[in-house]
Amino acid sequence: MLPRTLLATGLRDLLRRPLHTALLVLGVALGVAVVVAIDLAGDSARRAFVRSTDAVIGRATHAVHGGPSGVPVAVYRDLRRRPEVSAAAPVVEATAFSESLGRTSVRVLGIDPIAESPFRDHLGGGSLRAPGFSRLFTEPAGCVISAAAARRHGLALGGPLRLRVDDRALELRVLGLIEASPDRAAALEALVLLDVGVAQSLLGLGDRLTRVDLILASDADPSGLAATLPPGLRLAPASEQAQTAVQLTEAFHLNLGALSLLALVVGMFLIYNTITFSVVQRRTVFGTLRLLGATPGQVFGLILAEAALASAVGTLAGEVLGYALGQGAVRLVTRTINDLYFVLAVGDVPMTAAVALRGALLGMGAGLLAALPPALEASRVEPVAALRPSTYEGRARVLLPRIATVGLALALCGAAGLGVSDGVTAAFASLFAIVLGTALAVPLLTATLSGWAAAPLGRVAGSLGRIAARTVERSVSRTGVAVAALMTAVSVTVGVSLMIASFRATVVNWLELTIRADLYVGAPSGGGVRATPAIDPALPARLRALPGVADLETIRRVRVASGVGEIALGASELGATGGGLYRFAPGSEPDPWARVQAGSIIVSEPFAHRHRLAAGARLEIHTDRGPVVFPVAGVFYDYSTEEGQVLMARAVYERHFDDRAVSSIAVHAASGTDLAGLAARVREAAAGRALFVTDNRSLKREALRIFDRTFAVTDALRLLAVAVAFVGVWSALMALHAERTRELATLQALGLTPGLLRKLGLLESGLMGALAGLLSLPLGALLAWILVDVINVRSFGWTMELHYEPWLFVQALALSLAASLLATVYPLWRLGRREIAAALRHE
Amino acid sequence: MKRTLVAAAMLALTLAAVRPRPAAPVDDSARLDLGGPDDVSGFARATEPRPLRLPEDHGPHFEYQTEWWYYTGNLAAGDGRAFAYQFTVFRRGLSPGDPPAEPGLRTNQVYFAHLALTDEQGQRHVFAERWGRGAADLAGAAAEPYRVHVDHWQAHGNAGGGVRIDARHEGFGLALELEPRKPPVLHGDRGLSPKSDEPGNASYYVSLTRLATRGRVVLGGHEFEVTGESWFDHEWSTSALGPEAEGWDWFSLQLDDGRELMFFRIRRRDGGFEPASGGTLVERDGTTRRLGADELRIEVGDHWTSPRTGARYPAAWELHLQSPALRLRLEPIVADQEMRTSIVYWEGAVRVSGTAGESPVQGRGFVELSGYHAPMQGLF
Repeated sequence: MLPRTLLATGLRDLLRRPLHTALLVLGVALGVAVVVAIDLAGDSARRAFVRSTDAVIGRATHAVHGGPSGVPVAVYRDLRRRPEVSAAAPVVEATAFSESLGRTSVRVLGIDPIAESPFRDHLGGGSLRAPGFSRLFTEPAGCVISAAAARRHGLALGGPLRLRVDDRALELRVLGLIEASPDRAAALEALVLLDVGVAQSLLGLGDRLTRVDLILASDADPSGLAATLPPGLRLAPASEQAQTAVQLTEAFHLNLGALSLLALVVGMFLIYNTITFSVVQRRTVFGTLRLLGATPGQVFGLILAEAALASAVGTLAGEVLGYALGQGAVRLVTRTINDLYFVLAVGDVPMTAAVALRGALLGMGAGLLAALPPALEASRVEPVAALRPSTYEGRARVLLPRIATVGLALALCGAAGLGVSDGVTAAFASLFAIVLGTALAVPLLTATLSGWAAAPLGRVAGSLGRIAARTVERSVSRTGVAVAALMTAVSVTVGVSLMIASFRATVVNWLELTIRADLYVGAPSGGGVRATPAIDPALPARLRALPGVADLETIRRVRVASGVGEIALGASELGATGGGLYRFAPGSEPDPWARVQAGSIIVSEPFAHRHRLAAGARLEIHTDRGPVVFPVAGVFYDYSTEEGQVLMARAVYERHFDDRAVSSIAVHAASGTDLAGLAARVREAAAGRALFVTDNRSLKREALRIFDRTFAVTDALRLLAVAVAFVGVWSALMALHAERTRELATLQALGLTPGLLRKLGLLESGLMGALAGLLSLPLGALLAWILVDVINVRSFGWTMELHYEPWLFVQALALSLAASLLATVYPLWRLGRREIAAALRHE
Repeated sequence: MKRTLVAAAMLALTLAAVRPRPAAPVDDSARLDLGGPDDVSGFARATEPRPLRLPEDHGPHFEYQTEWWYYTGNLAAGDGRAFAYQFTVFRRGLSPGDPPAEPGLRTNQVYFAHLALTDEQGQRHVFAERWGRGAADLAGAAAEPYRVHVDHWQAHGNAGGGVRIDARHEGFGLALELEPRKPPVLHGDRGLSPKSDEPGNASYYVSLTRLATRGRVVLGGHEFEVTGESWFDHEWSTSALGPEAEGWDWFSLQLDDGRELMFFRIRRRDGGFEPASGGTLVERDGTTRRLGADELRIEVGDHWTSPRTGARYPAAWELHLQSPALRLRLEPIVADQEMRTSIVYWEGAVRVSGTAGESPVQGRGFVELSGYHAPMQGLF
């Protein structure tokens, strides 16, 4: 237990140095804020997903799924009559793009209002007594949406709602509004409800349903029921859909979380720096306390108590800031999820106890951990030594090699860890160990390198240069930490930028290879890669007949069940280009495309990675004729989906599935054809259908735009890390100058003009910035390698060409120089205003 | 007619409240606002007597909004154990005219069916409800061949010119063959059965008042060979109850002297009865006599309060007909024959005893009591 007077000393000290305390709080706050923001965004996205899945699945225990052509209503009719089925409901589900609902993707859900109540509560159970109910059945295009969505987008009861589903442009009429409690409202916002019959009619589904939801009797035997289904249909537990999607985003969330932790690590440097500074400044105080009888334990406790108090305030501030940042982060995260995975509407981002607790634990933990070394240091010092200001630096100098050795060992352990485990979490742990280990070695490097720099700097800038270099060397306990913080932030920036640049370069190459046709025709789903829009199967033939069309390629994208869960399947019909469209990974069978024509399938690289498949493996796919096992002929490079996909030849697809639609068409123009004229003819042939016709340049541009958008979160995180590092450097320089008040005043008294003093300050920080920048380059390159060749491969399975963009290295150097020079501005300005006499008296 | 009202109410209710699984919790946080009332214009109304055309008229009349096919019966197993059943299919047209001929589930017709079985010896009454849309053979009605059904609950014409009922729920079911013993009865004015003094507030109402019945009932895992007699009502209309109507009591009785009696009265909120109430007395030879509201006096002898819903129903009656002289005492064979379906009502078998003139007479019958749980008014 600490004596009260001692605690009061600490508390008064925090209050007496508002700037110092503010920095301490800021370090914790920024780190916590970033972690909380990302955590909150991920958490909200996950909860929104669960809610929207619940909204669609409801209380169903099982569902009968069909292939791409769905489930015939006759099967639904028969299921209703089976004794093991307690309740059954027909469902038509489609992804639509809605201009009326904020130009976003929405889910169209066709349900039978009179079969619904055991499953879903959207129609409010008893409130169906509401007059007007029958219009849901009888209006040709009536729909029900959430009242919140209607308010947000200015839609009125009875008013129109425009949607595009597949290649159809629909105008619905809002017949009903659902007023739901806030926690359910978000899930309903991206939902448009229709009567199932109306939905079938509008979407041209004939007698087909997307699925049949079931509640099985508790004693029913699902496998017995499954065995009675016609071939091509499948009984699955209702939870399956949710599980598939959760697994899909696991790697994404893990990567995001790890990046946000980096911000906290950088924040820890800041805390360490600030507390060390406060310890150094108060050595005499601690010495006096010890002389007055305080035990080492009490001094240790005092510093930790100060750190705990500051961390608590910082954590609190961080939680608030993180909550605010989270509102923005969630949009970035949702955007990415929508692009990469599935349609998701995140309505609100409420702070949850779990997120707040994680933030608090990290904030307090990081604060106390960072305060530990200086606290230990202060408590160990002998009372007499503590009264001599220079001892700390002396001891630090002694400790530097030891710390560096520990760091080196840590980094080596990290590197070894890469080889030992092949998990993603382990890879991130290794990455952290390497970054932290390297950072620990930075103070020694700073001291050594700035010592070496004294002579060259002296030649360039005279004695000021030498003084600057020696100052950085001598105050290494401070400057070393600042350089380490900056180096860490910049190297992470370099690593992440290199990773993104490499990824982008790889994607650009791949787009060049795959987008070779002149025009592309598709349906604007806006629903991310999971949407599988269908185009009128008669269109390819009409296009083929147009003058100027040399060749066509089509692809049909569907989602089907397989031995490894629901998968994305493409049925590809290539023209004269043949299999040249695809590039195959090593290990694929010779001429895989020929084998595909003969009935094999090929899988994309992420798919092979996710499901641990290679050429020669077999994959069971549920076709309309029942489960069929396909041999895998090869693994092809594909960067279009993180989930991965399977490709088969169109002819093979048509043998196994009844579906005849296509999802997009690539048109090769005959040489010499005017493309604008051809595009006009294609548009005319597709008249009446909501299709886009685009040239290959625009398509590539669009693909890259989505790519860049996907990395918006990563970019934001990178910027935040730099911001934290900047504050770190700033605080280190503030500390440095504050500590050197007397020294600088002496220099000034000896005749150094304020201009020269500023020059000195700039030289010092310039040297620190340069050191941090130089040291960050090799580490950044190493991080990029780990991100690209280890973490990316383990998380997503993509092969990327690591591309060391020289410009990024130059940028990194400039960034660290600019950060440290910018950070000097305020301390130097303050310095200039100091009264020499006052500063000297201070001592 | 009775059912007229029940069904009208239920249907108007649009079926909707429909909670087939009481176990499923309904989240009341969602409220649906549909803006305005249903458009009922365009439906034909029952204003004039029309000639009965058979077999077409056993099928659906899509130009009318509401229609039902109602089977009730008293049965006995070989050992004398008494059972009674109800099987009804209701149709509700959501817009006038035939359902669209599309391959999918698009429809303007909604059906629902009630199934109930009463076991006198076990003093049990079990019931169930099913809903179905009139599309893709999920539920429907047709004249030739005759068939009304919701899912696998159905009544359909058999080879002998009669009707077969098949309906099976968890724990109970029916498989019965019904043979008409008398020609169809047209109630009211040549089949036009008014419900109030307002013209058009009427239905077309046809009955088969005595059908010899044999087959099997299943209850609690046991199967019983049964024989007995059934009653069939078929009624269609487009109408609404007046604001003063609260509910109705309806009686269908089969006497052992070969006669049948149908009578209904519409209760008003002021405690009185609608003057358009009335009935039909069917003679042994099938000839009928229309009964006016004031020709039959009904005294309620006892009441039964449902422990489940709290509704208080009449539970014993004395019926007095002046001419021909008929005094009948009616007693439910099981007190709790409450149908706790989308709408709560009491529909159950009764034992009949009394005198016809001077001679003693016995019989069996069915009584329907609506509006005792919640007023029917406002549901139309």
